[in-house]
Amino acid sequence: MSASAVFVLDLKGKVLICRNYKGDVDMAEIDHFLPLLMTEEEEGLTCPIMTHGKVHFLWIKHTNLYLVATTNKNCNASLVYSFLYKVVEVFTEYFTELEEESIQDNFVVVYELLDELMDFGFPQTTDSKILQEYITQEGAKLEVAKTKVPTTVTNAVSWRSEGIKYKKNEVFIDVIESINLLVNANGSVMSSDIVGTVKLKTMLSGMPELRLGLNDRALFALTGRDKGKTVAMEDVKFHQCVRLSRFESDRTISFIPPDGESELMSYRINTHVKPLIWIESVIEKFTHSRVEIMVKAKGQFKKQSVANNVEVRVPVPSDADTPKFKTSTGHAKYVPEKNLAVWTIKSFPGGKEFLMRASFGLPSVENDEMEGKPPITVNFEIPYFTVSGIQVRYMKIIEKSGYQALPWVRYITQSGDYQLRSNF
Amino acid sequence: MLRRVWSIHRCYGKGCSPLLSWTTLTTIFLQQLLQHHFMAPVSLYFGIPTKESSGEEQLQLSLPGLCEYVEQPLTVGLKDKAACVRRVAVLGWAKIHSLLPNSEIDAAIVNELYGLLRDPDPVVMVNCLRALEEILQEEGGVAINKPIAHHLLNRLKECDVWGQSEVLAILQRYRPRSEDELFDILSLLDPSLLSHHAPVMAATLRLFLSLCATLPAVCLSALERVRGPLLAAAGSSSRELRYAALCHIQLLLRSDPGLMGEHYKRFFCGYAEPPYIKQSKIQVLVELVNDDNVGMVLDELKGYCTDVSMETSQAAINAIGSIGRSYSERCLDILTGLLELKQEHITSAVVQTLKELVWLSPLCGDAVCTALERWDDQLQDAQGRGALLWLLGVYGDRVSGAPYILEDFIAGVRSEVSAEVKAELLTATLRMYLSHPAETQDMMGRLLHYCIEEELDMCVRDQALLYYRLLHCGIEEVRRVLQGGRRSDLSLGPLIGRPPEPISQWASIFNTLESLTLGSSTVVNSDPSTPTAYTPNINTLMSSGDPDLTACSHGALSLSASPSLSPEEFERLWLQPEKGACLEAGVPCPVPSCSSESLQVALQLVNIQMLAFTPANKHPWKVYIYTHSSNTFISEGSRRPSQHLTSDGSRTPPQTLTSEGPRTPPQTLTSEGSRTPPQTLTSEGPRTPPQTLTSEGPRTPPQTLILAELLQVDREREEEPEERGKKGGVLVRMRQYPGDQTVLTGFLSVLTTVLQTLSAQPDHTHS
Repeated sequence: MSASAVFVLDLKGKVLICRNYKGDVDMAEIDHFLPLLMTEEEEGLTCPIMTHGKVHFLWIKHTNLYLVATTNKNCNASLVYSFLYKVVEVFTEYFTELEEESIQDNFVVVYELLDELMDFGFPQTTDSKILQEYITQEGAKLEVAKTKVPTTVTNAVSWRSEGIKYKKNEVFIDVIESINLLVNANGSVMSSDIVGTVKLKTMLSGMPELRLGLNDRALFALTGRDKGKTVAMEDVKFHQCVRLSRFESDRTISFIPPDGESELMSYRINTHVKPLIWIESVIEKFTHSRVEIMVKAKGQFKKQSVANNVEVRVPVPSDADTPKFKTSTGHAKYVPEKNLAVWTIKSFPGGKEFLMRASFGLPSVENDEMEGKPPITVNFEIPYFTVSGIQVRYMKIIEKSGYQALPWVRYITQSGDYQLRSNF
Repeated sequence: MLRRVWSIHRCYGKGCSPLLSWTTLTTIFLQQLLQHHFMAPVSLYFGIPTKESSGEEQLQLSLPGLCEYVEQPLTVGLKDKAACVRRVAVLGWAKIHSLLPNSEIDAAIVNELYGLLRDPDPVVMVNCLRALEEILQEEGGVAINKPIAHHLLNRLKECDVWGQSEVLAILQRYRPRSEDELFDILSLLDPSLLSHHAPVMAATLRLFLSLCATLPAVCLSALERVRGPLLAAAGSSSRELRYAALCHIQLLLRSDPGLMGEHYKRFFCGYAEPPYIKQSKIQVLVELVNDDNVGMVLDELKGYCTDVSMETSQAAINAIGSIGRSYSERCLDILTGLLELKQEHITSAVVQTLKELVWLSPLCGDAVCTALERWDDQLQDAQGRGALLWLLGVYGDRVSGAPYILEDFIAGVRSEVSAEVKAELLTATLRMYLSHPAETQDMMGRLLHYCIEEELDMCVRDQALLYYRLLHCGIEEVRRVLQGGRRSDLSLGPLIGRPPEPISQWASIFNTLESLTLGSSTVVNSDPSTPTAYTPNINTLMSSGDPDLTACSHGALSLSASPSLSPEEFERLWLQPEKGACLEAGVPCPVPSCSSESLQVALQLVNIQMLAFTPANKHPWKVYIYTHSSNTFISEGSRRPSQHLTSDGSRTPPQTLTSEGPRTPPQTLTSEGSRTPPQTLTSEGPRTPPQTLTSEGPRTPPQTLILAELLQVDREREEEPEERGKKGGVLVRMRQYPGDQTVLTGFLSVLTTVLQTLSAQPDHTHS
């Protein structure tokens, strides 16, 4: 690992805030960062790692900030990137939006956080839940609320403090699946997968012990049951609270949940599913005069379900003008700054088919620059439904005091990276 | 900060152990002391003063005396009740060490740190490892014996991801005592191999590879195991992590090309992905092509050829070219189809790719001729023009319209900037003259006149003069010089295909920074005076400690054939002598009469790798070899790929000599006659001052890459230099990156020994 220093820069390369952890790299080296980046951008060869002399810059970009870690060692690069993303995650939890302004408004907290996240180039406490317990944004609050050292820093259960109390004990479980899809211009599905997450909002007193039951195929195979629909999950990732050893031995998901909102697990399913919203498009370009676009959207899911806030984004040439739209439902508009025609349908029942026609004028003088062929992208959200058919079978909540708690479950399917290539 | 210290103080003050409150009080005392005496905002935290103030700040204040004050709370901090204090105290010792590198850390403290490896808090444990690693740097880092290793392995699960990666990296130093122990460790680590936190997975794999360096089968099955997680990482939402995963996949594919075969669709690019990801995905796709998916992959690559980013589209076109070596027909269709687009940068890339492809699979010649027949484009960039001229020269006899394309070039020669293009134009024109004498004669005259009378570039002028004199010798002589070997000779050397590399070649850079810089062209050192710009800490590199690396030593010099060098790399390096040292020497022994295979075997015994050789009974006899002296690392650095990998006109080294001699000055010299007496050692003085390694510590011996060409000295030129004496000597030309004369002479003596041993064996040829 070992990052020597971490910098937060604005888009002009000015250092907003920095923290020197090891002192083995000259802090002035950061001045070379932006010039290097500029030359690389000119050559079209940007790369997340750059070298100047003996110093390596590993950087990520977030909104209007660059986060840069410097090192002069042959360190583990992917770990450094993970750390930088962790920093972004923690800052975002603190300031809801991480951007130049939020850094400038919170210098003190940022310094304190940078202190706690890393020491001497090694990541230390990186869990934002724990950090929030002893680095608070309002100094006054601390005086009143905290008179003890947060046990979490020393605790065995580092993600939950003791003595949490709620009047009404409830757990909200959100099962969210997003669909990534890539369809070729000739209509064949190149790749499709489902990335699912199970999110928790825990409002439980004390130190409850939770057990989550899913219709996991591996579990059913293990116990010999074979009824109903099961789901084979891949790449299952858990929040650190889940006892991995138990999951590995008998696929039970048991844990002491962190308080408040958290992401319990994520998984990926590789099975091919029928694209939920299928798009057929015909884009005809009459050079020097106009572009005619015809888009047909078809809901290929159960009739009972309804997709909400469907947004079909169709790319148009950058020099298009005078948009005209005709839609069978919803409304369409031209977003010139993004070179898109966006067709919005508030509610889209399953099995239905809708049509949009658009025409744009083109200037008689042709644009010399070559334009890429951006794909059509679709955003949507289908509540009360999961594509994979995953289900929460039970959620058991056991606490010493023996209170009754209610689990609430909600399913949502939404679009992830949903791209259909067009052939205009 | 103060606030937190106070709050801590308050809570500890309330009836905690007196020891603790004493610690906190010391802290506050120290803080006040510092602020009063130095007026510097040195904040303190949890009793550990070094944390807040940066190292430099303290050094500037020259506070060796202060460290005395700090050591005491640190010592107490190690025994503190609260884990958070111990965590900071442990790292505090590492900081003291880095602030005062000369001061010895008390052995008692080191022992205590070793003891704290058993601390119940996992972060304290990991921090101890980190601190000991720093403090004991000179002794090679923290010592890992069997109990420590087993303790760490057992507690691996308790650590957070950062800790796990750290522990796994440090465990690489441990060598299990027995096979049973090894397999126990492996089965314990097996679940982490499937960890979905990519860095942990990568660290585990690295540990696996280093533990099982002697068991290739286990390594390969480990690669199989990580395929899933690695693919998942390659689809991660953060582009940097995706890039890192792709770089690692590329490393894996070097040893197991079939690993990802069926998952090729995972490497299709999304529209919005940044160019560096697209380019590495394209590189991966090339490796994954097989009979089943070639259609899909080519369709996909075809789509990328029109990408908005020029670099991506060039990478895609090159990729199609490399696939074309095995699936030439489909690729040629796509490539010639791309010419129809009339996009200049695409056309230029296609021409360069065609030139490459035609050389490697001569059967594509027909398609190229058809494409040239319809040529009516203008190319702006020098590389594209050079490639086009090369194609025109070589295939001119089969393209009826070729002289007219050439005519345009000759008409514009005055405004041509690039000397390379002019040189290529000269060669192409002369070749064209052989096939279309009537059309070409007039313009060739004009071109030669211009180049000899007005050209300012000496290389071009010399080449023109050479051709002019050559023409005086008669058309047959011209034909002999220019036509020989203009198209590739299929019998030439083992250049086709690439066998899977042994895992040990890349295991040491897996999951480090270096693996990411290998695939990119961005780490080019612009300053030629420091040949080894890329010197990450040797400790991190050596921590892999691969003892099985085959490096055999010859006196003071140790050679190693790995990492392997591709013919293209060899050629690129060979053609830029100014970067390294050069040496020419004659070896007074006849050309070994044994077969090339036995020569190869003999050279491999001394860790010299043979790259290419002339077919048997061909004159002049030539062999290209390379090796690395000592450790593999810097040679890696010096083989960073350049962005102009295929920029140069010529092809594989042997061809360069026979057909394009005049373009590479050092070679011209000997092909003309021998102005360089081969038996004396002549380092190429003024042009390439031998560069010695700077800034290398005493612990690291200089590591270099050595390229060499063995050339039979021709019989016809025997009479001229009297001192050659013997018949059929061997001329050795060497290049070295970075240069070091002593190593070169050492290498030469090794080589001479081999050659002499070989030729001492009974032979039945000319000599």
